Amino acid sequence: YVYSRPPPWSDTLPTIFVITPTYSRPVQKAELTRLANTFLHVQNLHWVVVEDSPRRTNLVSNLLEKAGLNFTHLNVETPKSLKLGVTWIPSHTPRGTLQRNLGLHWLRDSFSNTAPPEGVVYFADDDNTYSLELFEEMRYTRRVSVWPVAFVGGLRYESPKVSPEGKVVGWKTVFDPNRPFAIDMAGFAISIKLILEKPHASFKLEGVKGGYQETSLLKDLVTMDGLEPKAANCTKVLVWHTRTERPTLVNEGKRGFTDPRVEV
Amino acid sequence: NEELWVQSVLEMPKRRDILAIVLIVLPWTLLITVWHQSTIAPLLAVHKDDGGDSQRDLAAGLDSKEYCLSDRDIVEVVRTEYVYTRPPPWSDTLPTIHVVTPTYSRPVQKAELTRLANTLLHVPNLHWILVEDSQRRTPLITRLLRDTGLNYTHLNVETPRNYKLRGDMRDPRIPRGTMQRNLALRWLRETFNKNNSQPGIVYFADDDNTYSLELFEEMRSTRKVSVWPVAFVGGLRYEAPKVNAAGKVYGWKTVFDPHRPFAIDMAGFAVNLRLILQRSQAYFKLRGVKGGYQESSLLRELVTLGDLEPKAANCTKILVWHTRTEKPVLVNEGKKGFTDPNVEI
Repeated sequence: YVYSRPPPWSDTLPTIFVITPTYSRPVQKAELTRLANTFLHVQNLHWVVVEDSPRRTNLVSNLLEKAGLNFTHLNVETPKSLKLGVTWIPSHTPRGTLQRNLGLHWLRDSFSNTAPPEGVVYFADDDNTYSLELFEEMRYTRRVSVWPVAFVGGLRYESPKVSPEGKVVGWKTVFDPNRPFAIDMAGFAISIKLILEKPHASFKLEGVKGGYQETSLLKDLVTMDGLEPKAANCTKVLVWHTRTERPTLVNEGKRGFTDPRVEV
Repeated sequence: NEELWVQSVLEMPKRRDILAIVLIVLPWTLLITVWHQSTIAPLLAVHKDDGGDSQRDLAAGLDSKEYCLSDRDIVEVVRTEYVYTRPPPWSDTLPTIHVVTPTYSRPVQKAELTRLANTLLHVPNLHWILVEDSQRRTPLITRLLRDTGLNYTHLNVETPRNYKLRGDMRDPRIPRGTMQRNLALRWLRETFNKNNSQPGIVYFADDDNTYSLELFEEMRSTRKVSVWPVAFVGGLRYEAPKVNAAGKVYGWKTVFDPHRPFAIDMAGFAVNLRLILQRSQAYFKLRGVKGGYQESSLLRELVTLGDLEPKAANCTKILVWHTRTEKPVLVNEGKKGFTDPNVEI
């Protein structure tokens, strides 16, 4: 008997396509390592990693090869002008947008609308924390499913408001609860079928007000009453919007103390 | 006449025919039944242990290799079955890794322990010793541990607070986690007999660090104390033991106080259980420990520099990162709280 990691692929289970934008910084390898350790438990998971870089890096390539996950490795560099937000409009391109859109584009290129695979798309940033239960909740999404997310909007968690009939009727948030979709990126999943049916639905690149990025995509896909609440009618927290501190590297000094060839 | 002859032939020894048919058909029926069952049901008998009562078994992917030689040779069927269970099945030959994790209640606690558990769930023969800094074992941790399926021990000890000086804060002179790690050492010494104990390794894993799966396999072969580099400590990309050409540790590649007896982070070493049991008075020093000397306070009672075993390709690879999680902004909860406090995060 050989212990396999990830679990063997199943012909009957819908596939979960996880799109993760990532960028180079000291903690990148650590974040991707612990994220991979979580994904390695999830059956029929396909990880779409999109680097914000002009070329696919060795660090990410090697990590993906070694992990054993089913993966697709893409890259697209966010132009400097967008990164710095140097426009006269006081808005910005939220980080990861181009990368997530490239992930959607790859899906639309890879699968045909006439014979869509059973599955969902989920946007998972590399520093959040995901329970294993979350993936089973999202697996059978018909259109768009939603659930609470911890540590967003200045709260312990934000959550959809669910009526006794099990329909989403609003948003339990303090920050701008009247947004069409007052929900964090980690709080929803979309069926592949829907992504392929609406080939023009993407995250808006520019002119997006803070907190409206998710809306810019979802408004073209679904209306509020079409949302499917998960996680016990949105009463359980299965995902946490954790953020990792930037490590102090002050003792590296000007010329560097550690061997730069040792990958961190 | 012919018809009569045919008829009588057909009516001939029926009993013998029936017996012959039965003796031929029966073994094949049995063989087919067994074969049919074995391709449907999981073959692996999962070894159940104390904490692992909810192991998920997803066996599939049968690989059949048949070696057919001649009629006289024995047909050998070798089947490699790939199984996934969480955690992996217990093995009788692997040393147990006892992972000691002190933990304390704060908003990100459940998230940290969830992602740590997700990593530990891949490691065979792992025993998680979770020690809460609390007066009582909390329901949050009790539930979390039970739901993971891991082999675990749940302990608690509260670090005394110095109310007079700072109200709610802990006594600043006791480094965080010390009493909890010491309690785990004591539990190990009370639970395992140094004469006939199963092989084991002790590793101190804080709940906010990041661990690669490779790290656990590196430490499994520890004879006394093994060491390796740790990222994001001492104000550097990483700190590492200095290893000479003979594969012996002779110093420490750090900027901060490289002359400490053991200039190494808590996450950078593992100790053989036997040594813990032999040196039964070795503990982390509680008070009067200078910053950065906590690890030395234990290790100097266990081993000398020359005895250290360098791992991770002679300490050239990073397999563990001292990550830290930001404190979440909860300003919108306001004074009376906005979210439902009954919803656990």
